[in-house]
Amino acid sequence: MRWRCAAVMLVAVLALALVGPVRAQGPVKITLWHAMGGARYEAITKGIAEGFNRAYPNYTLEPLFTGSYAETLTKGIAAIRAGNPPHIVQVYEVGTQTMIDSGAIIPVTDMVKPGEINFAEYIDPILKYYTVRGKLYSMPFNSSTAILYYNKDVFRRAGLDPERPPQTFDELEQMGRQIIRSGAARGAVTFGWPAWIFEQMFAYHNKAYANNENGRAGRATKVLFDQPFGVYLASRWAAWAKEGLLIYGGREYAPNRAFLAGEVAMLMQSTSQVSTIQQGAKFAVGTAFLPRIPGQPRGKSVIGGASLWVLKGRGRSQAELDAIVAFFKYLNQAAQTAQWHKDTGYFPATQSAVKLLEAEGWFTKNPNFLTAFRQIQVGPDTGATRGVLLGNFVQIRDITDTMLERIFSGRMTPAEAVRVSAEEANKVLEEYNQTYK
Amino acid sequence: MEGRYPDRVLPYVLVAPSVIIVLLFLLIPSGEALWQSLSRINPFSGQATFLGIRNFVVLLASEEYRHSAGVSVVFTAATVVLSLSTALAMALLANQRLHGIGIYRVALIWPYALSPAVAGTIWALLFEPSTGVVTYLLRETVGVAPNWMMSGRLALLVVVVAAAWKLLGYNVVFFLAGLQAVPEELTEAAAVDGAPPWRRFWAVTFPLLSPVTFFLLITNSLYAFFEVFGLIDVLTQGGPARATDVLVYKLYRDGFVSINWGLASAQSVLLFVLVAALTIFQFRYAGRRVFYS
Amino acid sequence: MPLRRAALPAVPVRRALGVVLLHLALIAAALVVVFPVYYAATVSTHTFQEVFSYPPRLAPGDALWANYVAAWRKVGMGRLLLNSTGISLAVSLGKIVLSVLAAFAFTYFRDFRAKGLFFMLILITHMLPLPVRIVPTYQLMERLGWINTYAALTVPFFASATGTLLFRQFFLTIPPSLSEAARIDGAGPLRFLGQILLPLSWNNLAALFMVEFVYMWNQYLWPLIVTTSNDMRVVQIGIKMLVATDAQAEWNVIMAGVMMAMLPPLVVLLILQRSFVRSISLGQEK
Repeated sequence: MRWRCAAVMLVAVLALALVGPVRAQGPVKITLWHAMGGARYEAITKGIAEGFNRAYPNYTLEPLFTGSYAETLTKGIAAIRAGNPPHIVQVYEVGTQTMIDSGAIIPVTDMVKPGEINFAEYIDPILKYYTVRGKLYSMPFNSSTAILYYNKDVFRRAGLDPERPPQTFDELEQMGRQIIRSGAARGAVTFGWPAWIFEQMFAYHNKAYANNENGRAGRATKVLFDQPFGVYLASRWAAWAKEGLLIYGGREYAPNRAFLAGEVAMLMQSTSQVSTIQQGAKFAVGTAFLPRIPGQPRGKSVIGGASLWVLKGRGRSQAELDAIVAFFKYLNQAAQTAQWHKDTGYFPATQSAVKLLEAEGWFTKNPNFLTAFRQIQVGPDTGATRGVLLGNFVQIRDITDTMLERIFSGRMTPAEAVRVSAEEANKVLEEYNQTYK
Repeated sequence: MEGRYPDRVLPYVLVAPSVIIVLLFLLIPSGEALWQSLSRINPFSGQATFLGIRNFVVLLASEEYRHSAGVSVVFTAATVVLSLSTALAMALLANQRLHGIGIYRVALIWPYALSPAVAGTIWALLFEPSTGVVTYLLRETVGVAPNWMMSGRLALLVVVVAAAWKLLGYNVVFFLAGLQAVPEELTEAAAVDGAPPWRRFWAVTFPLLSPVTFFLLITNSLYAFFEVFGLIDVLTQGGPARATDVLVYKLYRDGFVSINWGLASAQSVLLFVLVAALTIFQFRYAGRRVFYS
Repeated sequence: MPLRRAALPAVPVRRALGVVLLHLALIAAALVVVFPVYYAATVSTHTFQEVFSYPPRLAPGDALWANYVAAWRKVGMGRLLLNSTGISLAVSLGKIVLSVLAAFAFTYFRDFRAKGLFFMLILITHMLPLPVRIVPTYQLMERLGWINTYAALTVPFFASATGTLLFRQFFLTIPPSLSEAARIDGAGPLRFLGQILLPLSWNNLAALFMVEFVYMWNQYLWPLIVTTSNDMRVVQIGIKMLVATDAQAEWNVIMAGVMMAMLPPLVVLLILQRSFVRSISLGQEK
C-alpha cells in the first residue's frame, strides 16, 4: 500500500515539475515604442514585427505607436520615471545625448556579445553617429541624411539642363535667378527641417558645431555656430531670402508643400521623404548632393533619423534581454534592412543589404534612393562629420529654428541673430550640464 | 437668525467635497510649485536639487522670458481693447427697441460657445496666404497679400483678431445686461436737457456701466493670458520666430517639452503674482457689492 | 424772395430711416460674428480643389459627406466626441452639485462660522488657475496613476468658485420666511434644499450648467498634457491633429472637423442662453 502511495506521489511531483515551468512559459514579450506613422506604420508593424514573431516563435515583439518623435521621447521619459518603461524606445537623433546621460539605458555594446552581430557590416557614418568614446549606445534603425530635391520640369522650362542640378551655392544662386526670371517657379529653394540643414552645412564643410569635438570627446559646453562660418552661412541665406531666392516654408516637413505645388524649384530635405515626394509630385523629381560652398573645406553630410534604445527595467529577465538581442539580430539581416529601405526610404544600413539591393537592380530603377547613400560615402571621418551631440538638443534646435525665422523675416540681422541664439544655446547647455553632473 | 438651520455637523459635510478638491488639486500643488520653482529636477529620476532663487534670476535675466512677457502684454492689451470696444458698440445696437431684436442678440452671443482652438482655426482659414477671404479682400483693395506664417507681426494680429472675436459673445452678453440695468429716466432726463446722444452716452451711460466694464476688463485679461493657449498651439506654436510666444505658451514649452520643471514652476509663480494682483484689484473694487449684497 | 429750405422729412419717415439704419448696423454686426463661421461651414462642403479657388467661393459645394467622413476617420472623431461629452457632462454636474451644497452650507446654517472659509475658498480658486500649478498637478496625476484616465480629466475641475458664489448670492435673495416656514413644518435642511430651493434655482442651474459645459468642452491645455493615447483624447486635441499635417492643409476636411467640434456646445448655448442672460441680468440689478 505504501509503495503505491509513494509511487503515485512521485509521479505527481514529477508531473508538476515538468508541467509547471512549461505552462509558465509563454512567448517572451518585448515592447517597442516608436514614432513611425503614416506609411511607415505598416512597414514596422506588418513588415518587421510580424516577420520577427514568425521567425522567433519564442519571442513576441509588440510595437506601439506613441506619436511624434517628441511625444515618444516625452512618454518614454515619463515611463522611466514611473518605473515601467518599455523594453525598446525609438528616439530621434537629437535625443542621443539625453539618453546617454539618463542612467536609464543599456548600451548596445553591453548587451550584445562580441561576434553576435557584425557591426563592421554597418555603413560607417551610421554606426559612428551612435558610437561615443568606443561604445555603441543605441541600435541604428532608421537613418537618413539631407539631400537636394529639384523639379526637373521647372528646370527645363527655365532653360536649364534638368540633369545638371547646382553643385555649389554660387550655381544655386545663378540657376535660381534664371528660374525666377523665366517665371518657371516663384522661388528657387526652400528647406525642410531648417535647423537641421543649418547643422548639415557645418558637417558638410567639416566645421564643428560645438566644442569638445562636437560633444564627442566630452560633453559639449559651448556651441560654435557663432564662429565666422556660422555668421557667413546665415548671411548668405539671409541674402537669398531677401532676394526672394529662398522661400521659408515652415519647419519639419511643412516645406514639402511649396515644393510639391511647384512654387519652389528646389528643396533640401531628408532622404526619408523620397517615396512621399515622388508619389506626391506631378512632375519629374531629381535628387542631388547638397550644394557646397566653394573655398570651404570638404566635409560630409550628417546622419539624421532615429535609433532604438534599450531601457533598463525592474526585473528584466535574461530571456527578455535575449529576446531584444534576437530582435536586433533580426533587424540586422540583409533582407530586413533592404525591405525597410524599400518601404520607407531610410538608408539600407548594412553593406550586405546594399549589395542585395544592387543585385536586384533596385537602385537602377530608383536612382533617387541612391543619392543620399552615395553622399555619405564621400568625405573625411572627423568629429565634425560624425554629427554633433548636444544636451537638450531639442531646445537648441528650437533656438536655431527661431534664429533662422528671425533672419528670414528680416527681424534681426544675421550676425545679431546668430549671436543671440548662440548665447541662448550656451545657457541651455550650461543648465543641462548642471542637471546631469 | 430667521430661517437658518441649527445643524452643526451637516454644513461641514456639505462643504467638505469642495474643500477637499480645493486642497488636493489647487492648494497643495500650488505650494509644490513654489517649492519646485526653487529647485532643479531631473526628469528621469525626479530628484530635486535646491537652487534658491536661481531659476528666477535666470528667468528674469533671459531675453526669451522678457520677450514672452512683452508679447503677452501686447497681445492682452490689443485683444481686450479690440474686443471690449466692438462688444460695447454691438451691445448698444442690440439694446434698441426693435422688432426681431431677439434674433440679433442670439446671433451676437454665439461665439461664446466656440473654443479658442476653433476660433483660431477659422481665422487661420480666413487669413490663408493664398486664398483666404481676408487675404483676397486685402489684395483686391490695398494690394497687399500678407503671409502670417512668415510675418511675426501679422501672426500676432491674426491671433489677436481670433481671440477678440471669440470673446465678443461673452462681452456682448454682459454689456447688454449692464445697459439694460441703466434706468431710462436718467438718459431721458439728459435728452430733455438737450444733450446729444454721444454726450448722453459718455456722461450718463458709460459711468453706470463701469462695474461691468471693469469686470470684463479683468476677465478678458485673464482669458487673454491663460485660456488662449489652444489658439496658439494650433496655429503658430509660439512662432514665427517666437512672435506669439505668450507666457503660458513658454511655460508649456519649458515644462512639458523640455521637461525643465524647476524653470516652469518659477514661471508659474510669476504668473501667480500677476493673477493675484488682478484678482485683489478686482475684489477690492467690486468685492463689497458682491459679498455684502 | 429768399429760397426756403426744404422742411425736414415728416417724423414717421425719419423714424423709418432710423429703423432701417439700425437694422443695417445690426446686420453688419451680426455678419462680423456670423460670417467667419458661415464661411467655415461652407468650406467644409468644398472639395480640396474648390478650397483653393481664387477668388474664394462663398457658395456651398457637394463634398459635405466626403469631408465629414474623412475628418471623422482621420482622427477618430466618434471617440473624441464621446470623451468630450462625457467629461463636460461629468464636470458640469459635479461642479453644480458641489457648489450648490457648499453655497447652501454657507447660507442656511445658524452656527456655521465660516465666512472666513467662504472667502478663502472663493479667493483661492480665483487666484490659482491651472497654469499657476500645472506642473505639480500633472505630477500628482502621475503619482495617482491617473495619467490618461477620465479621472484626471474631470476630478481636478470639480470645485467651482463661480458656482458657489452664484448660488450663495441667489440663496441670499430668497426671503428667509420661506426657509423659516419649511423649518417650522419640520422639513430638514436637505429636504428644504431639494424640494424648495432647487426648483426655484432653475435659471441659475441652467446658466451654470451652460457655462461649465462650454468651459469643459473647450479645455485644451490640460487634456493635452494629461492624455497620451488617441482613445482618451478630446475633440479640441482632435482639431490640432487635423491641422498639424505635413502635407498641404486640407482645409475642407479641417473645417468639417471644426464644425463637428463646435456643434455640441453651441447647441447647449442656444438652448440655455436665455437662462444665462437672465441670471446675469438679475445679478446686475443688485
